[in-house]
Amino acid sequence: VSELRWNPLLGEWVATATHRQERTFMPPADFCPLCPTKPGGFPTEVPESDYDLVVFENRFPSLRPDPPVPAVEGTELYPVRPGQGVCEVVLYTPHHSSTLAEEPVEQIYKLVRVWTDRFIELGALPFVDYVFEFENKGEAIGVTLHHPHGQIYAYPFVPPRVQIELDQSSAHRNKTGRCLLCDIVAEERRDTRRVVAENASFVAYIPFFARYPYEVHITSLRHLQALTDMSDAEQQCLAEMLKTVMVAYDKLFNLSFPYMMVLHQRPTDGRVYDYYHFHIEFYPPLRTATKLKYLAGSETGAGMFINDTLAEEKAAELRSHVTPVVWGEKSK
Amino acid sequence: MKNEDGQIKGMNARRITLADGRYLIFYTFDEEGATKHSEKNVEASEAAQRQPVAAPQAEEERGV
Repeated sequence: VSELRWNPLLGEWVATATHRQERTFMPPADFCPLCPTKPGGFPTEVPESDYDLVVFENRFPSLRPDPPVPAVEGTELYPVRPGQGVCEVVLYTPHHSSTLAEEPVEQIYKLVRVWTDRFIELGALPFVDYVFEFENKGEAIGVTLHHPHGQIYAYPFVPPRVQIELDQSSAHRNKTGRCLLCDIVAEERRDTRRVVAENASFVAYIPFFARYPYEVHITSLRHLQALTDMSDAEQQCLAEMLKTVMVAYDKLFNLSFPYMMVLHQRPTDGRVYDYYHFHIEFYPPLRTATKLKYLAGSETGAGMFINDTLAEEKAAELRSHVTPVVWGEKSK
Repeated sequence: MKNEDGQIKGMNARRITLADGRYLIFYTFDEEGATKHSEKNVEASEAAQRQPVAAPQAEEERGV
């Protein structure tokens, strides 16, 4: 079963994908389905090992290009539509025990270009309105496979959280004539206390309104809407900033830091979104080395986050772990 | 980001079809495209380490 059910209370779609219950769960390292197939070994998802990065269709997709007919009929109150879209897996490296933070900045730059390629190709599909690129890292996030990888969901609609950002950005433009994210960046750079790092094209900061203790946003200094709007130099700067933030995360508690990393780009539905602004958001679940930030009653039931920390203090902590990014370093 | 041929810098994509019909794309990168780093970005990398003035620490522990 794979279908989209409408929630009239919140005005949003919910994907029902019962086959995902059967997906591979925490296999031993010797039986990782995301490692390249070894000669004489069991067949994995990746039949060859000579690559920099790999992208493939998810074996257990929530959305698919040719979805089955919904298992239930919709009503006027409860519309139902096929779960049409694309779900892809992005393998960052053939090496099972690595992480994106441990990869050389060159590899992260390659990932940025693969993200760009997938944004172009998936965004051009007639049934795709939004290309959502993201990574869930760590068991604390619920990751079921440890091999370093991210995912891409190509949705047949603009997802609700992005839609809110679009609406807020549009309202701000109408009210002030300016870009909301440009104003946020200017405010953060003027204040400086929440800035974690900055380079020629990007700034990383824990926003004034952070919901998670170590929530970091990476925003382009130039007003642009997607990876496709960036120059090569800007994409290299983005790779550097990603490396900077992820290495600082790992140094914070001297552990491989779990997080959700999401790219927020313009929709691909053919409309103009010149009021929007590209950025990447990290939501790490840790509030200390051993304590998780749970999404409990207020966060889940009311939608109001309670952050037990001050963004200014957490940014100072993270900033103290920022180290130079060196091009040409070997992978660990 | 793209050259005149519409290709992303240094990137090669080879698509195959898996036994169950799904596609898989192998991405490889030309060495120059993968590692070349302009002087401008060396400066950018150094700039990434320029840390803003540290914020004053809060004097009180926040309540739960």
